[in-house]
Amino acid sequence: MDGCTFAVPHGRISGFIGPNGSGKTTTFNLLTGIALPDAGEVLYRGENIAGLRPYQIFRKGITRTFQITRIFREMTVLENMLSVTGLGVPDRVARERADELIAFVNLTHLRAEYGGRLSFGQQKLLEFARALMTDPDLILLDEPAAGVNRTLLQHLLDHIHRLQEQGKTIVIVEHDMNVIMNHCERIFVMDYGVKIAEGPPAEIQRDERVIEAYFGRRRAASART
Amino acid sequence: MTRYQHLRNLIVLGVAVLVLAFVPHPLSVYLRSFLLFTMMYVVLALSWNIISGFTGYTSFGHVAFYGIGAYACAILVADYGWHWLPTLGVGAVLAAAVAVVIGYPVLRLKGPYFAIAMLGAAEGTRVVATVWDSLTHGGLGISLPSAETSMETYYAMLVLMVVTIVVAYAVGHSRLGIRLNAIREDEVAAEALGINATLYKLTAFTLSAMFPAVAGGIQAYKVLYIDPPAVFFVQITIAMALMSMLGGKGTVIGPIVGAVVLYSAQELTWVNFPTAHLIAYGLFIVLVARFMPRGLMGFAIDRGWARKGMVH
Amino acid sequence: MNQRVDEAPGREPLSRPVAPPAAASVVAPSPVAGRGKERSEVRSLYLLAAFLVCAYTLPFFVGLWYGTVRADERWLAYLATVVISGILQGGVYAMFAVGLTLIFGVMRIINAAHGEMVMMGAYLTWVSFFFLGVDPLLALTFTLPIAFLFGLAVQKLLLNAVVGAPELTGLLITFGLGLTMIYTVELIFTTDFRTIPYAPGTVQLTSTIAVGQNRVISFAMAVVISIGVYLFLKLSRLGKAIRATALNAEVAMVCGIDVRRIYLITTGVAAALAVAGGALVSIQFGFNPETGVLYTLQAFAIIILGGRGHYVGAFIGGLMLAVLESLVSLMVPNGTAMVELAAYGLMIFVLLIRPGGLMGVKEG
Repeated sequence: MDGCTFAVPHGRISGFIGPNGSGKTTTFNLLTGIALPDAGEVLYRGENIAGLRPYQIFRKGITRTFQITRIFREMTVLENMLSVTGLGVPDRVARERADELIAFVNLTHLRAEYGGRLSFGQQKLLEFARALMTDPDLILLDEPAAGVNRTLLQHLLDHIHRLQEQGKTIVIVEHDMNVIMNHCERIFVMDYGVKIAEGPPAEIQRDERVIEAYFGRRRAASART
Repeated sequence: MTRYQHLRNLIVLGVAVLVLAFVPHPLSVYLRSFLLFTMMYVVLALSWNIISGFTGYTSFGHVAFYGIGAYACAILVADYGWHWLPTLGVGAVLAAAVAVVIGYPVLRLKGPYFAIAMLGAAEGTRVVATVWDSLTHGGLGISLPSAETSMETYYAMLVLMVVTIVVAYAVGHSRLGIRLNAIREDEVAAEALGINATLYKLTAFTLSAMFPAVAGGIQAYKVLYIDPPAVFFVQITIAMALMSMLGGKGTVIGPIVGAVVLYSAQELTWVNFPTAHLIAYGLFIVLVARFMPRGLMGFAIDRGWARKGMVH
Repeated sequence: MNQRVDEAPGREPLSRPVAPPAAASVVAPSPVAGRGKERSEVRSLYLLAAFLVCAYTLPFFVGLWYGTVRADERWLAYLATVVISGILQGGVYAMFAVGLTLIFGVMRIINAAHGEMVMMGAYLTWVSFFFLGVDPLLALTFTLPIAFLFGLAVQKLLLNAVVGAPELTGLLITFGLGLTMIYTVELIFTTDFRTIPYAPGTVQLTSTIAVGQNRVISFAMAVVISIGVYLFLKLSRLGKAIRATALNAEVAMVCGIDVRRIYLITTGVAAALAVAGGALVSIQFGFNPETGVLYTLQAFAIIILGGRGHYVGAFIGGLMLAVLESLVSLMVPNGTAMVELAAYGLMIFVLLIRPGGLMGVKEG
């Protein structure tokens, strides 16, 4: 990333797009404390969280999922859910919430199965459910649609919208344009570590720089004519 | 696990304790020693399992804590005239302190490098014990005055074993255990879920250091003579690791089973083939690491004889 | 309404359509993140250099404190002797450390049995000296092929299965192998220390500095062998194949390199280097089945210092460790025992400061 400034709107679903290597996942890493910025600040609710350890950032209400799912393979689905900290509730309540979320993603029948034995789609669901255990306020989803079939995706998106209606802020990094254009209110476009565009879907689709970044100069030129 | 299952396990443990409490009286001294050392290895294997099995930081140097406990007892009893029981507490505290001091930097290292570093730490402690002879009598070793019957140490070890089992059980079946497992599985993801890995690792490491120290102290008082090579014996770390791996790293029953099986086997073969049995040890590690990485418990779980996961 | 985005990113805050307050924002008055790597890279190198300077001067301070250091000419000559002797020894260390670094570089396996292979070399040489009456250096002509075959066997039976596995598995298996080797040798030869009396004379370098003849010979042999292997790796087709596999085994496979064969050869060469090291060590020092443990530790320290997988790094590491050990054994009381601490301390500090070692990248 190189000299970026952007602000994600509260309580809305935002999208991050850009060609491969443009810095989208790096942004997430910076936001969640996995990467440290050389300079600059990361402001969350007015507080600079840059430099905090990931677990501290998590406890402030920010969760994320990963591009390649990072569920715990040798632990059961239930244990995956219960590994989350900061719940501040007794065991029984935590277990109930875990079971609720497991039921939501339709994994109840696999509750006692090792995470590593789940199918790819099921693992994505597990990671999604796990990220919701603490009822976070800011949810960062890194390519939630990758490798997921249509039905499941719709299911996920329904829930994402429901979360947004509850007042949560959601940011999605995606390559799937349908998902981004149809579900995000605001889109940020990156290329080579730099933000090149920002705005509602309609604008982004027409933005010359975005087209150029994705398809190269010639296409942009032909798009203009 | 349901409360019923916890209760059932508690009853099983209680029965075993009762048996072990009454059994030594009619037995020969040799058999009593055998039981004592079996219990000791259960303690060692379970402790090792806390940092290496649950948390995934394989320590090749845990014998250092054992040795520290042994020396704490020996020095305080032989040179300062303490009664042996409080020295165990001193040993535990000392080991915990050393664990924190060594652990903080060393736990930053990844898998095999942590293992190597701990190996070096154990060897280093041995060298220190040899060299610091004003305190430790160096290579001469320390002889302890004998005042106990073989029953005192036996019961001490029994108590230690029960405590260790209870603690390991409590850790393993709780959310703490889940978090340690999470650190083992994927430390970065675990941190992203709010787990303060440094704190948890250090806690597990310190906890896993205390029980071996007490065991070392008891053993010193039993054997009545220690010197650096005997007490900082690499074999002890190997035994801990092998027993845990054989039984099933990361479970609670695994190390217990592994310790009993391996120690019994060792005693049987040692008498007949003193050096060959050590060769067998080496081969055994190779075989277990190669073919049975999840140990007997892993085998049982795959067969459906035991449940997956620790928390249900 | 057209919201044109500012051309210069990050220079001034953007005007945007009315939106609810930001949930999170990344503000960067100057370039952000992802590029700090270069700075911390250099920083850790400086830190490592600073640590090394401290490590090498520490024995002097300790010696001054305990009075083992004297500022007269004889002592200084003695110091020089010890340092030079150390350098010579370092050549041998380096040679067998190189084997370890090869195995790690090509297969990502940490061979905890490496010291035992060195020990095996020492015993093989001893046997050929006392039972066959063969000059130790000449014995290399058949001990090396034996070692090579041994390496092949180890690779085939044990290591092939763990090549892709986590590094810890390889460490465990080789650890077990090492133990087995120690006790097998002990069964045959008992724990008695053995020595080989060879070239007992000294070489007079200057009027006051003399080093053991056997040490000079060992160093010379070590250099010859190391250069030979280096040239082999650099110039021959097989050597290049090995280096290619070390860089990226999958790509090497695609390029038609038989990766399995490369693994076999690598372990064979590494074993041969270790055994050669053992042979050269056997004519200088006494050994018993358990001395291998120290050699393993030293080899680890060397390759970590020099950079895992880095050939020349292993050489540099070997020289540096040997010199440090010489200084320690000379000036620190209980020096011979402390040598082990020196190796271990060096290793652990390098791991903490700059895991990649001198020649590697910061993270290794």
